[in-house]
Amino acid sequence: MATELLRADDLSSGYGKVRVLWGTGLAVEAAETVVLLGANGAGKTTLLKVLIGLLPAWSGRIEFGHEDITRLRPDQRVRRRMAYMSELGVFPGLTIEENLRIGGQFVPPAQLRARMAELFETFPALAGKRHALASSLSGGQRKMLGIAKALAADPLLLVMDEPSAGLSPLFVAEVIAVLRRFRGTGLALLIAEQNVAFLDLADRVYTLDGGRIGFSGTVAALHQEDALHRAYFGLG
Amino acid sequence: MLAHAILSGLVFGCYFTLVGLGLNLIFGVMRIVNLAHGDVVMLGAFAAFWLFALIGLHPLISSLIVLAIFALLGLPVYYLVVPRLLAARDSEMLSIILFFGVQQIIEAIATIAFGTSERSIPGRVLGSGPLHLLGQALPVAWVVSAAVSLLAVALVYLYLYRSRVGTLTRAVMVNRDEALASGIDVHRVSALAFGIGVALAGLAGVFSPFMLGSATPAMGGDVNLAAFAVIVIGSLGDPRGTMLGGLIYGVALMLMQTYMSAWANLLPNLLLIAVLLVRPTGLLGRQVRRA
Repeated sequence: MATELLRADDLSSGYGKVRVLWGTGLAVEAAETVVLLGANGAGKTTLLKVLIGLLPAWSGRIEFGHEDITRLRPDQRVRRRMAYMSELGVFPGLTIEENLRIGGQFVPPAQLRARMAELFETFPALAGKRHALASSLSGGQRKMLGIAKALAADPLLLVMDEPSAGLSPLFVAEVIAVLRRFRGTGLALLIAEQNVAFLDLADRVYTLDGGRIGFSGTVAALHQEDALHRAYFGLG
Repeated sequence: MLAHAILSGLVFGCYFTLVGLGLNLIFGVMRIVNLAHGDVVMLGAFAAFWLFALIGLHPLISSLIVLAIFALLGLPVYYLVVPRLLAARDSEMLSIILFFGVQQIIEAIATIAFGTSERSIPGRVLGSGPLHLLGQALPVAWVVSAAVSLLAVALVYLYLYRSRVGTLTRAVMVNRDEALASGIDVHRVSALAFGIGVALAGLAGVFSPFMLGSATPAMGGDVNLAAFAVIVIGSLGDPRGTMLGGLIYGVALMLMQTYMSAWANLLPNLLLIAVLLVRPTGLLGRQVRRA
């Protein structure tokens, strides 16, 4: 039986007086890949920021591993092995190795060394440039570094904000291929995207529209219910 | 004369690097402008003066005490003031206003407490006679002050570039939001940087009677101007640039005092204007923020 890793219920939040999330909720099970699909301005980034603690929840509750983390700071959530990859994802002014060390700041040193060796094997393009600044990498390589940095934390759940942003279709396919390699390793993924190519990875899908969850279910059900069109074009 | 001006300029440059480094570290990490920096230097100077005058404590020992006490005082000040500033919409502008007020309060209290007289510690306390370096005679007090400054600057660079917390500190300098998203305890890192910045200012104060001639409660404004010139020349928010800025400032100051002494007091203003007009990012400024 699957174990529920993350559960968010009835979340509302926003910026200043502007409310963006309206009673939004979702759940991610251990080792599951969930795609949160929505158009620009649907509230995906806001929802992820509330989940990771960068924005306060005005109401609602977030549980991670059955622990209430609603009021915890981002660093306290990362310590509980919940990693976040923002759209930027890296520190351009630091080296690749420094970026990975920051990602794995809560991992014991010996374990981090082994983890970094694994990551350099998974991302060979980064291995030869470990002392180069992240700003010297191409857009696609930076995205790979962002993924590697988040994975350095050895997370149970990796929350990703639009990993396809700013990438060519070729690099998007590469990112998807890399993420596919981590399926079945025990890592759960929550990916906020507007690029439907990421549905290939999904065990389950949520659609977000106007700060509210529209659809929740499998990819097959999504296509059957035509929820994809509703999420993007507001039809139906 | 030229060789002496350049060598003494380099010695002063090491000291001015120390004067600017704390200010730049705080700005780089927190993006706030500590206009009270010069007054913290002044408090360090008076601490050293009174420790020497009352109990005869050697300035080198005073410097350790000042470092420890100022760093410890910096921590509660950080938690009291900075998180509220950072939560504001325009924290940079607000910090200028707030620390300007703090500067005025410190200066007023110091004037009431210490009077307006100039206070100094005899240079011979740090060693008597001139020291011959590369064929040039320099006061021992200058060389000792510069050596301590250089040591403190080297320790800060080791902290920033060779320690785990230093890497986290530079990450906050590069991008505070990304640092938060990466799970860095940004307030802990910033509080440490604030404590170190205040301690560096206090240390610079201990040696100011030897390098600047004397200490008065009103010296903070001039020290601030010099510190801003140093960090703007190097690169605002980039600690590596502070050393370059300090050395350029020190050499320029000594050249001015040697050849155009009447104009020497204008130097910080001239350098600030020149750098801001020609290269506003500072000499090490880059498009991508690197820490």
